[in-house]
Amino acid sequence: MAANIVGAFKPSMQNVVKTSKILLVGAGGIGCEVLKNLVLMGFGELEVIDLDTIEISNLNRQFLFSKDSVGKPKSHTAKESVLRFNPNVNINSHYGDIMDTKYGSAFFNKFKLVINALDNKRARSHVNRMCLSCDIPLIESGTMGYSGQVEFIKKDFSLCYECSPKPVPKDYPMCTIRNTPKEPIHCIIWAKFLFSQLFGENTEELVSMEETEDETEEKLSARDWAKANNYDGQKLFKKIFYDDIDYLLNMRDLYKSKSIKPRKLDYVYLNGVKSEYAHEEESKILTLPQYISMFIDSITSIKEKLDQSKKGYLNWDKDDDDFMNFVVASTNIRSVIFGIEIKSHFNIKSMAGNIIPAIPTANAIIGGQIVIHGLRVLEGKYPRCQTVYLRGMPNHKGEIIVKDKIVQKPSPTCTTCSTEGHIVLAVNTFTFTIRQFEDLVLRQRLNIVAPDVLIDGRMIISSDEDDELDLYSKTFSEANILHGSKISVDDFLQNYRVQMLVHHKMKVSDEQPEFELFNNSDDVDKEDDFEQEEYDDECHIDGEDHKFIYVKQEESSNEEMANESDEDNFSSVEEELEETELFVDAGAVNDASETCIKITNVCSITEDNTLSIIEEQSAEVPADSQDENNEDDAKDNFEIEDDAKDNFEIEDGAKDNFEIEDDAKGDFEIEDDAKGDFEIEDDGNETNLELKRKAEDNVDTTETKKSRSSTDE
Amino acid sequence: MDSEISNNGADVGKLSKDELKVYDRQIRLWGHDGQKKLSSWNVLLIGLQGLGAEIAKNLILCGVHSITLKDPSDVSILDRCSQFLIPPDSEQRNRAKASLTNAQKLNPNVKVTADTKPIDEEDEHFVTKFDIVIATECFPATYKKLNENCRKNQVKLFIADVFGLFGYFVQDITFEHNLYHEIFPNYDQRSNVSENCPLPYYLTSALLRFQCESNRKPNPDTCEEDVEELKSIISSFEQITDIEAYDEYFGELFCEMSPTTSIIGAMVAQAAMNTIMDKTVEDFNVFFYDHVEHRGQYFKL
Repeated sequence: MAANIVGAFKPSMQNVVKTSKILLVGAGGIGCEVLKNLVLMGFGELEVIDLDTIEISNLNRQFLFSKDSVGKPKSHTAKESVLRFNPNVNINSHYGDIMDTKYGSAFFNKFKLVINALDNKRARSHVNRMCLSCDIPLIESGTMGYSGQVEFIKKDFSLCYECSPKPVPKDYPMCTIRNTPKEPIHCIIWAKFLFSQLFGENTEELVSMEETEDETEEKLSARDWAKANNYDGQKLFKKIFYDDIDYLLNMRDLYKSKSIKPRKLDYVYLNGVKSEYAHEEESKILTLPQYISMFIDSITSIKEKLDQSKKGYLNWDKDDDDFMNFVVASTNIRSVIFGIEIKSHFNIKSMAGNIIPAIPTANAIIGGQIVIHGLRVLEGKYPRCQTVYLRGMPNHKGEIIVKDKIVQKPSPTCTTCSTEGHIVLAVNTFTFTIRQFEDLVLRQRLNIVAPDVLIDGRMIISSDEDDELDLYSKTFSEANILHGSKISVDDFLQNYRVQMLVHHKMKVSDEQPEFELFNNSDDVDKEDDFEQEEYDDECHIDGEDHKFIYVKQEESSNEEMANESDEDNFSSVEEELEETELFVDAGAVNDASETCIKITNVCSITEDNTLSIIEEQSAEVPADSQDENNEDDAKDNFEIEDDAKDNFEIEDGAKDNFEIEDDAKGDFEIEDDAKGDFEIEDDGNETNLELKRKAEDNVDTTETKKSRSSTDE
Repeated sequence: MDSEISNNGADVGKLSKDELKVYDRQIRLWGHDGQKKLSSWNVLLIGLQGLGAEIAKNLILCGVHSITLKDPSDVSILDRCSQFLIPPDSEQRNRAKASLTNAQKLNPNVKVTADTKPIDEEDEHFVTKFDIVIATECFPATYKKLNENCRKNQVKLFIADVFGLFGYFVQDITFEHNLYHEIFPNYDQRSNVSENCPLPYYLTSALLRFQCESNRKPNPDTCEEDVEELKSIISSFEQITDIEAYDEYFGELFCEMSPTTSIIGAMVAQAAMNTIMDKTVEDFNVFFYDHVEHRGQYFKL
């Protein structure tokens, strides 16, 4: 090991390397590289933590793992693996979540340096706050495809992870998902909801209709109906792709002024078909009968898994072949019905799993740069720790590894690292509940783990269960939180404090989110000119207070929203880069994650065909339900009466690309993009991807951009 | 030829379901076609110190068809600074052979071979057995001969070295740019270095000249004398006026250090793979990683 060889380091550094205790958070793609480098350099005191287990798709880059180690904890396995080439290093491995309260200040204070090799925003924010609170230097990193970045974070010296806002994922209105899908991604989200509704834990986002049992005339939810029918694949196929579509079509006005309209499948398939598909390549587009067979077979396999499940439900996982087949088949059958382009298994998996492409070389470069930064940090040369970017292709000067000119100073308005910072929370105080505030604002957006919330000295949320505060169902106004109220939020664990100013704001447009955060009250009104985007042609509704369901699709590892591909590090720093300007934030990236879909609002169509609010909800599917206000009537928000009036308008404007071949074979033709080139269409998820380039820059990022918001390490 | 074959590779051009799963995240970057091309590729890798280990790791993980690890030397104590494929207590063993087991473990689908014959003793057609040749840790005279030979046979060549935390590589993939000894003409001490080049170029030239004169790379044991020697070489370059600019580099030029073997190893492996992914950087022929400036830059020299 280098530190044991006199002369390998400057004399002053030799002992520093041997004795400095370092925490590595994450033992994935970047983590494996960093751990190897640290051990080879002779760092003698290391701790590594990771909450994941090894998956087969990790093996192309997480080289400390082999096929035999699939299923084992990454942290322990990585440790054992590096001890094989250097048995003389002291490594403590933790199989756990860094956000767990047991890794508090006392834990962090042991370290001279913390290195983040994470794949999600939440954990990154958390470690950022812990390091700011304990005043420990942090090296933050991420890769995506060919690109990556390394960032140095030190309290009062540099930008912190949260100094620059991170993009919020793209929303999809729920009515599009249910009634008027236009793009493959809409069908994919629908298919994942369908999985959740039939097999998952959380059955709030219903996409399949209630069904009447013949004998009893009792209305059963689709889940119960499926159970009552013993998850018979053919019956489910008929229900979902014939009966449910009939139901939609019977709502006359639903498609009245729209070019989008479902077209029923040929009845020859009504009782299912048999068509072999197992031999087909994943990049190939199959035939309708093949997808129908796949659907029916997947139901059979998933039912067996459901029966064996101790929990009584299943969590969707892109790496489970049966689950994936279910989503591929459901997506494509629905796409046929709605005249949407069919996608290959390979492409649907990218979108459904938000997979970020990942290669060993980018991780190795970033892993090397992290350790060089680590040496500079331990030498105390903070100004030499500028953010470093790995570009997908060289710029015109031939540079492919580029740094910022200087270490960026902390943002004075940062709500995390500056005491001056405060947040303006714009909400409708008459409808926004304390629970929404905690779940959506504090936990999901601000990544607070254990919130204590005070308003004028009065506690409204407590991290201590013994306090037995139960204001969750109250709206802000009911809890006397009004326009101008100052809310003080404190996370004891993260030593994070933030002041919030409430700004009451009625919703004037439907695509507005439930809440918005601003740094300045003046910004609130500017934002009122909303970009109407595509929601307009989708579901245009008159009137004031209507809300839609928004569906957000994000990566997540574990139950949290996690694996955002990180876009998230993407920071203002880039402006300083002379010609680089790109950038990816390469965040993370990891694949061992589950996708979760969040719904921030719920819309419903009621009897008089206006859209009306059904208690806003927050739901994560299929993740853990933190959400108890599971309104029963929300389940019924699917009903539209036939004889309804017409204030439900959908603008036209979509092309009529609606064609299904009716020939007996049931083949349908769709442009074959089965080359398997990485291609993700503009499913709108691009927002997740922070790739910006100047014209001089090359193709490759464009590719990555398309590949967008998928995710690695 | 003294070689060991530890495993049989997969069939050329076909990806099994298992391989598709392992390679999934990279296929999403370079496509099934890219992966298939890669899986038909035969690589010769010369030099199995830390840098060679990194290059081997990346290419094996990505799934080339075969890789031949060629190194005539025995394991040295300095290998412990960056060579993670060699188990401890391998001091008396040949480097390539000592690396073989762990290299193979990285990916059973790749055919990994150890070869202990020096490249200088191979006949000139030897390189034609490979789609690409990557050489590390040889002497400049060996690089010169190898480059001429590969050029003649139109075999793509990468040459790379790491000195402490500093590293560079030269690529000859279009067979149009200068040859290695034209870029770094100091291998025989007669010619002088080029003008108007970036700092890392002169640093590399000095390091290569040091290697020619002392018959070794700068060494941690003798770091103080070696730094003096390097300084005197650099000051002998007429083009250099600001000798102090090099001071920050001198403390970190001894033995191969893992962060930079990691960076250069990945740069070389990716640049090599890019030649079959239509993503080649053809306008440049030399790459330097400057560890003081955190800069990785291509040049045409």
